[in-house]
Parts: sequence; C-alpha cells; structure tokens
Amino acid sequence: MTDMTQNSSTQFSTPSADGSSFAVLKHQFLQIWQVLAALVLIYLVFFTLSEPFRSLDTLLSIFGQASILAILACGTTVVLISGGLDLSVGSIFAVVGVIVGIALAEYQLPVVVAVLIGLLAGAAMGALNGTIQVFTKVPAFIVTLGGLTAYKGIAEILASGRDLSRFPDSFQMLGSGYLVPMLIMFGVALVTGLFLTKTQLGNHAFAIGGNEEVARLSGVNVRKSRIYYYMLGGVLAATAAILEVSKLNFAMPARGQSYELFAIAAVVIGGTSLFGGRGGVGKTLIGMLIMQTIIVGLSYLGVGTSVQRIAIGIIIIVAVYWDVWRRPSR
Amino acid sequence: MASQDGKKPILRARGVSKHYGGVVALETVDLDLHEGEVLAVVGDNGAGKSTLIKALTGAIPKTSGTIEMDGHEVQINSPTDAKAAGIETVYQDLALVNELSITKNMFLGRELIRNDILGRLFGTLDFPKMDAEIRALFQKLDIRIADIYREAEAFSGGQRQAVALAKTVMFGKRIAILDEPTAALGVRESKMAMDLVRSLKDHGLSVIMITHNMQHVMNYCDRVMVLRLGRLAAVRDVKDVDGDTLVGLITGASEDKAA
Ligand SMILES: Nc1ncnc2c1ncn2[C@@H]1O[C@H](COP(=O)(O)OP(=O)(O)OP(=O)(O)O)[C@@H](O)[C@H]1O
Ligand SMILES: [Mg+2]
Repeated sequence: MTDMTQNSSTQFSTPSADGSSFAVLKHQFLQIWQVLAALVLIYLVFFTLSEPFRSLDTLLSIFGQASILAILACGTTVVLISGGLDLSVGSIFAVVGVIVGIALAEYQLPVVVAVLIGLLAGAAMGALNGTIQVFTKVPAFIVTLGGLTAYKGIAEILASGRDLSRFPDSFQMLGSGYLVPMLIMFGVALVTGLFLTKTQLGNHAFAIGGNEEVARLSGVNVRKSRIYYYMLGGVLAATAAILEVSKLNFAMPARGQSYELFAIAAVVIGGTSLFGGRGGVGKTLIGMLIMQTIIVGLSYLGVGTSVQRIAIGIIIIVAVYWDVWRRPSR
Repeated sequence: MASQDGKKPILRARGVSKHYGGVVALETVDLDLHEGEVLAVVGDNGAGKSTLIKALTGAIPKTSGTIEMDGHEVQINSPTDAKAAGIETVYQDLALVNELSITKNMFLGRELIRNDILGRLFGTLDFPKMDAEIRALFQKLDIRIADIYREAEAFSGGQRQAVALAKTVMFGKRIAILDEPTAALGVRESKMAMDLVRSLKDHGLSVIMITHNMQHVMNYCDRVMVLRLGRLAAVRDVKDVDGDTLVGLITGASEDKAA
C-alpha cells in the first residue's frame, strides 16, 4: 500500500537468503506500526487526562479484560481472513459455558474432562456452521445468524432449572486474576499466528479469502478448509468461555451476548480486512487492547457505558473506512 | 481418426458441450493436441474459448463430451484431476491471488511441506526451499522479479503473467493451457510472455493457447482452431493460412468445415 514503485524494480538479482526474511519482518512491522502507534497514542491521551489511569493496576486490568475476548477474537480473525463470518460465536460461548458448568457442578467430572468436553462442543458447533455453509451455499451471515439464536436457545434449555456455580478450586485457578488469562491469551495468539503464517492450512485461509475461485482452481480443498476455520473459531470461543466461567465461578446462558460483535470490532480495528485475504492475530490483539483502553479510559473519566458504546461504534466505522480506502481498486 | 501427418494426439476431446441453462456456450467441439505442438484457439469474444478450456480441465462440469490422453479415456472432473494428469492451466483473470506473495502464489495448493516432525504433524511449510526453487527457476527463465515475498498485486501485468507462466513451467508435466497470456500486455511484455510460451515448448510440453493476436498465431503456433458461437468453425495448419483468412474464419465471412 505504500511504495509501489520500488518493489516493481526489475533488477535481476538473488538477494542473500537472510535478506529476504529480514524484508518480510520489515514488511510485517510496517503493516502493524500504525495500529500500534494508535494504541500508544490513545493510552497516552488517557494517561494525561486521568490521574488514577496512570497506575500499573489499570494497565494490567486492561490486559485482563482484553484477554478473554481476545482469545475469542483470534478465532474470528482466522474466519474473517478466510472470507467467512461467524456471528454465532457469542452463543457458542454461552453453550460451552453451560456445558462445562453442568459437567463440573452436576456430574462432578474431573476438570480436565470438563474442559475437553467444552472444547469439543465448541469445535462441533463451529464445524456445523461451516458445514451447513459450504454445502448449502447459504451466506455465512445468514447461517451464523441462525446459529446465534439457535445455540442461544440450546444454552437456555440446557441451563434451565440448574444451579451452575461453585466449581472446584483447581478450575477456578484458570481464569482468576489477570496473569493466567493473559498468558493463555498470548499463548493462543502465538499458536494461532503460527498456524496462519507457517502451516499449509493457515496459508490457505489467505488464499481462499483473497480469491476463492483461484484457490479452487489451484487445487485447494476450499470446502474442507473452510470447515476447519469455523471449527477453530468454535474451539477458541469455547476456550474463552471456559476461562470466563472459571473467573466468575458460575455459568449462565446470558453470557457471551454480543461478544461476536466485540470480536469483529477488535479484528477490524486491528486492521484485518473484513473482505478476507489480509490480516493477522497480532493486529487483533492490538485492536482489542485499543478497544479496552478506550473503555477503561473513558470510565476513569466518568463517561458512562452508553457513550463508550457510541465511541466504539464510531471507531469501527472509521476502521472499516480505512480498510476500504487502502484497498487497491482493481 | 489419426491426423493426417500421422502424429498421435496427446490429448483428444470429442463432442465437448457446455450449456448454461438454455445458453449454449459450447456445442460438440472436438480438439486434438499433438505431442510437442502449440495449438492456438481463436475466436471472437464470447465464442466459447475459455469455456472450452475450463471444460477440458475440470474447472467447470461439462454438459457432455469425452477426453482421452494417449489414447485412453480419462475422467477430468476437477482442477486437481487435470493437474494429476500433467495438465497445467493459466485461467483468464484467475491466475494469481492478489493478497498472496509470489512464493505463495507459485506453490498455492502444492506447497512444500517441511521434511521433519513439524511438517508431518502440522503441515508446516518449507519457505526457504520454495523461495530457492523459485529463484532458480526465475533465473533460468530470465524473469526479473527479486521481491518474491511481496504480494502479487504489487506487480505489473507483465510480471504477474510471467509468474503465472513460470508456474506452468514448474509444474506442467505434459500439457500447458494458457488463456490469453498476452491480454492487456504492452509490446515488450507480450514478447516476454511469448518467449516463455516458447520455452514451455522447449521444455517438452504441448501447449494450447487462446489468443486474439493473429501475429502470435503466425509466429508461435503450429496449428490453429477457430471457434465461432460455441462451435468449431475450422482447424488449420498455421503454415496453410494467413491472418486475413483467419479473420474471415473468425467472423464467419469465409466458411469452412472442420477437419
Ligand atoms: N457462468 C456462465 N453462465 C452463463 N453463460 C456463460 C457463463 N460463462 C460463460 N457464459 C457464456 O458462454 C459464452 C462463451 O463464453 P467464453 O467466456 O467461453 O467466451 P470466450 O471465447 O472466452 O470470450 P473472450 O474472448 O471474451 O474471453 C458467452 O456467450 C458467455 O456469455
Ligand atoms: Mg475467454
């Protein structure tokens, strides 16, 4: 998007091997520095305006609040890069929370087993979204809008008449405090980032999101790949749900509401394209931190949640405008 | 049905049709591609040229028709089938993904996986090896693109076409099919692309090339088939025709029965 003249140089050369990988790093940094600068700038604005905002505790709480949503948003990033959309991850989050709650509180299953059941349930719901889409060709928006209400209904049915609280101590450790969720967030982001950049299936997400027809003609199994991306989105929604249930020490079907929208917002603010083919989880983490910084910062300034929502809404539109504007028109 | 000079066809298609609902895009077209030749496919816009090669290579399901390779019938129902049969295709306007680097475009769908535990477990890609293979190939073909990690959209039309053709050199085992390889290219870049087509032939591939450029037909092709309104209008040896005759066949001014 920057210098079109320099790269189309026609010098015949074989640059040193490390030269090219350095160039890749530089290229990635150039793509990310703008959002990073925006994050720092926004942080500094609140730092100047609000005395209590300046504490280390505030900084940690920004990370802490960002972490659960950021994990979910890593999945959203992959789905959006592949040119898909999953509006149902908030409801998958609710179902998984309830299932894990039942496994722990009612059946007293070991924590590891409960967590595995939760992750599997997330994978299954994500895969179902993907499968319906690729085989019926009903648009992602519609299929996952259906999923949003249907999964929510399932969560309510499963939870009705049950007391899903007071879980074992070993489970509560997962989501308590800031540190563990933050570490899990960085772990998830790292693994997802490696998946996207280093593996064949991850690379195909960019190809499919960039031009599905070219990918198909090149022999990429578009349907199967898409199902995997939705599945990953489901697993990461489940991971986030498990952490939140652990943190709150109760599960209820109302949790997860609108999380898909916050996740999409963070992804877009970070600079991943809504149109597919471009993006990354590093950007999403920064996008999520920008959002949380604004929310925390505004509340320190005494601005209520309604105005915070308006601010986030405006930022989303600006971010998408930026995405549209920098797309080369061809 | 052996052709007049006794060369046996490497690819032989019979009665290929493609109907889109009521629209007849292609009607019972026959095609013979001989070993080592460059076969031109010409015709007006909408004559069915792209449809023909898409049907041949499994990019779209054909309504009817059979395909033989080396005298044996083959089922080509997907682009993957075509690649497995040694057929590499550059589709019109569908050659590269803009968002992917040159390396990733070249190896899309056939990425080299690391030959270690990471590769086997996660399908981890071997970028250094892919980069090295591309640099060696570009050097051999005299393609002057150094920034192979840049996204394809950052390159000129000629460079993009060169990359698409290089892909057929790299992977084409028997047949290369090119849909308008010089469309929208300048004089110099067209020549570069046509030199690459010639090097495909030199690499032992048989080539089918769609073009609107009669000069290219005359200079680079051995035989030419003319499509008109979805039907085969004529097949000629290039040495037996001139540009004016071809234009007549394309527009229907001069009639001819297919050989
Ligand atoms: N998906 C489709 N649905 C309906 N009709 C189609 C479709 N694709 C192609 N056609 C029709 O088939 C006919 C042949 O199209 P085709 O693309 O093969 O032409 P072409 O010879 O390649 O033309 P050009 O030189 O412009 O590339 C046209 O009349 C076109 O409108
Ligand atoms: Mg065409």
